[in-house]
Amino acid sequence: MKTISWANFSRREIMKTGAAMAATGAMTSAFPGSAFAAAEDDRIVAAAKKAVPNATEVTGILWSNYQRAMQPVIEDFGKLTGITMPKIQDISTFDIPQRAMAEALSKSPEFDFFHLDANMIPSLASAGLLEPLDDYMEAAGFKINAVGDYARFLTYKGKTYGVTTDGNVHIQFIRNDLFGNADERKAYADKNGKELAWPETWEDDLAAMKHFNRPEKEIWGSANLRDRGSSMAWFYMYLYSAGGFPFDDDANPTIDNDAGIYAVQTYLDVKQVSHPEAAGWGTPQMIPRIVNGNAYSCQYWDGIAALAENPAKSKTAGQWLYGPVPGSKHSGKLLKRSVSTPNVAVVVNRHSPRKEAMAYMAMYFGTSANSATIVGDPVNTFHDPWHVDHFKPGSLPEKTYTPGGMKAIQQNMTIVTPPIYLTGLLEFETELKRNISEAYNGGKTAKQVVADTQDAWAKAARRIGKRRLKEEMATYKSLMPKNDLPV
Amino acid sequence: MAVDSASSNSTGPVRMSRRDTTRAQGIRRFKWAVLAPFLGVMGFILVPALLLQAYFSLFQFSIFDAGDNDSFMAYFEASEWVGLDLYEAVFTDSAFGAAIIRSLAFAIGSTVGCFVIGFALALLMYRPFRGQGIYYVFFIIPMLTVPIVIAYTGEMVFYQAGPLNDIASRLLGRPVELQLLYDQQTALFTVMLMEIWNWTPFSFIILMAGLSALPKEPQEAAMILGANKWRIFWEVQLPLLRPVILLALILRFLEAMAEFPKTWGLLQGGPGSASETIPIYIFINAWQFFDISYGAALSYVVLLMMVAIVLSAIWLLRREKTSLDAMYAAKPQEG
Repeated sequence: MKTISWANFSRREIMKTGAAMAATGAMTSAFPGSAFAAAEDDRIVAAAKKAVPNATEVTGILWSNYQRAMQPVIEDFGKLTGITMPKIQDISTFDIPQRAMAEALSKSPEFDFFHLDANMIPSLASAGLLEPLDDYMEAAGFKINAVGDYARFLTYKGKTYGVTTDGNVHIQFIRNDLFGNADERKAYADKNGKELAWPETWEDDLAAMKHFNRPEKEIWGSANLRDRGSSMAWFYMYLYSAGGFPFDDDANPTIDNDAGIYAVQTYLDVKQVSHPEAAGWGTPQMIPRIVNGNAYSCQYWDGIAALAENPAKSKTAGQWLYGPVPGSKHSGKLLKRSVSTPNVAVVVNRHSPRKEAMAYMAMYFGTSANSATIVGDPVNTFHDPWHVDHFKPGSLPEKTYTPGGMKAIQQNMTIVTPPIYLTGLLEFETELKRNISEAYNGGKTAKQVVADTQDAWAKAARRIGKRRLKEEMATYKSLMPKNDLPV
Repeated sequence: MAVDSASSNSTGPVRMSRRDTTRAQGIRRFKWAVLAPFLGVMGFILVPALLLQAYFSLFQFSIFDAGDNDSFMAYFEASEWVGLDLYEAVFTDSAFGAAIIRSLAFAIGSTVGCFVIGFALALLMYRPFRGQGIYYVFFIIPMLTVPIVIAYTGEMVFYQAGPLNDIASRLLGRPVELQLLYDQQTALFTVMLMEIWNWTPFSFIILMAGLSALPKEPQEAAMILGANKWRIFWEVQLPLLRPVILLALILRFLEAMAEFPKTWGLLQGGPGSASETIPIYIFINAWQFFDISYGAALSYVVLLMMVAIVLSAIWLLRREKTSLDAMYAAKPQEG
């Protein structure tokens, strides 16, 4: 794989080139989006300058790992509009939702934005923290041009509250040097009575992971996360693909059933092919193991494809296959469901006196050209593809993520689901995390997990307000994919 | 060597002169003058906080019901009277009960650990020797380390392929694969080890100060009477040091009951709920569930529990001080 250096080009130079080509009509078939892209950026800049004529400094909570790839766009916007971001509060993305809730409680105007999981939008909007962006988007003629229904993951009760910078869907990773090895394939076929193939179901996936689970060689079948903090993503994939859904239309929890037990049991079954310490490993521990070749396969955030294919940072560059996540036939038909959590977006603080300036900067992150710059950064690969233009042949993100990686991302985006897209996400997830983590450590059965979680969720739903949750249920359900399988 | 503590009462009450009374009143006034500003500030901060906490523990508040209203008064308007329902929920909350047991086990274990090691170090160090200062600095470094840094250091040291198992494997000549962090049975114990490392210097400093300040006369007298070192330690030093030991134990226990950064930084209450101690449990309820009202009720119950512990501790300390005063005031018996 070729190492891509973007350092020789400034973003403005590329933009200017695109605009010039569009103006002269040259190579328009090769770069159809350039003229529109430049116009899109210019409209936002013009609207920002009109609305915020004086130099303005904005600030917010943003993890520096995410900031690095955004910095060229931030600086560019500052030069063009006088709206700058000289400092940020640097906190891990996983901790920002909680902090944002605390800011909502205090109604503080200190931070102009939060860069966090868009699945927190129902909670934060209900808590009165978020500024709707629709009027600003209309003023700038801006639209979130995401793949499929992904832009709806940023809405609440019909209003748009955020601009994605990081698409983040789970894709399937399989080590091709193991999966494609003729001897291994024969051994697998002899043992299992069927050919080794891309896993269609979680059961297929587990069988393959068992085959390649070799602790004595420091290779484990699975690199799926099983820690208390970030393991929910897998639970959602198992539950949704089994035909389950966490609540009914009256906001009553509905996981104490066959689909719920199946989801938890599938989660627990992976323990036999996971590292013994996986119960405590988050991404800082697991990502190095993936790229260093200590795992056969996993479902993981798509950004890892960019890291895994970077030979400067990965011992397994060129050895990975990417594709749709497995699914389940539990409901009677094969269903595959990926998940987007965190879908990291910029949301604007309604209490901030600089919210207008921040709204325009947020939109500027989401344009075709700027989002490609952010997502396509070959080194700081925290932001993952989501914009329609990212998936066009020859795009910058494609160079970073490889065509195979991009295809897998696009496939999984057609079956992508949100976590519990309701007010109270943190509370619902924390209860589930506690119970499922206890089960993973041997303290509970799958049945106990779903029963205890259902009880806790019922109490939480009453406290949050069933009327509110029932109102939100239609939006949540509308975010579920229409396709059973990736297209 | 025996001491007649009852003899301290034989002198009876002493009638104070007018001058002494005036002086005592002056001292009392001076004490209040010094204390008043601090009490004022504490009252200004503490009383409203306690009142707010009491209010929200009796009125169920939801942040989601007050979102659209920018006024802080909306929080009061959006709260619903529930009386003692939340307290009833606290007392029937089995997870909270388990958190109390974990906190007590953690606090007792780490207090004893800190005391034993701290006392041993203090006994080694309390007599001046060459290079004492260097050792002293070395021993108190853990206390100066930021707890969250200790948590991350602990993660590096204790994970299965980490240096601890590696060193043990080399020493024993066979693979040692202890899972100290991510096993439900050992996780809290591992945090306890880090707590002991972190806070042993605290016990060490208090006990060393206590040992250094012990009156020399009783020890010298015992030595002249032929007592060996062990007997002097057991029958002279230890009884004289009892109030200091009690103080060190109580302060350490209270601090350990409130331990949060290492436990959260390392385990976030996991694996499972193995490290969900009282502070972690309250944090999860108040700042992850944003159930401020339940968090307030939990906090009040914990506050009352801790007040009871502190009052018992003060009573114990007073008793020890009285006993010690009596011992100092007593005349040694003949023979």
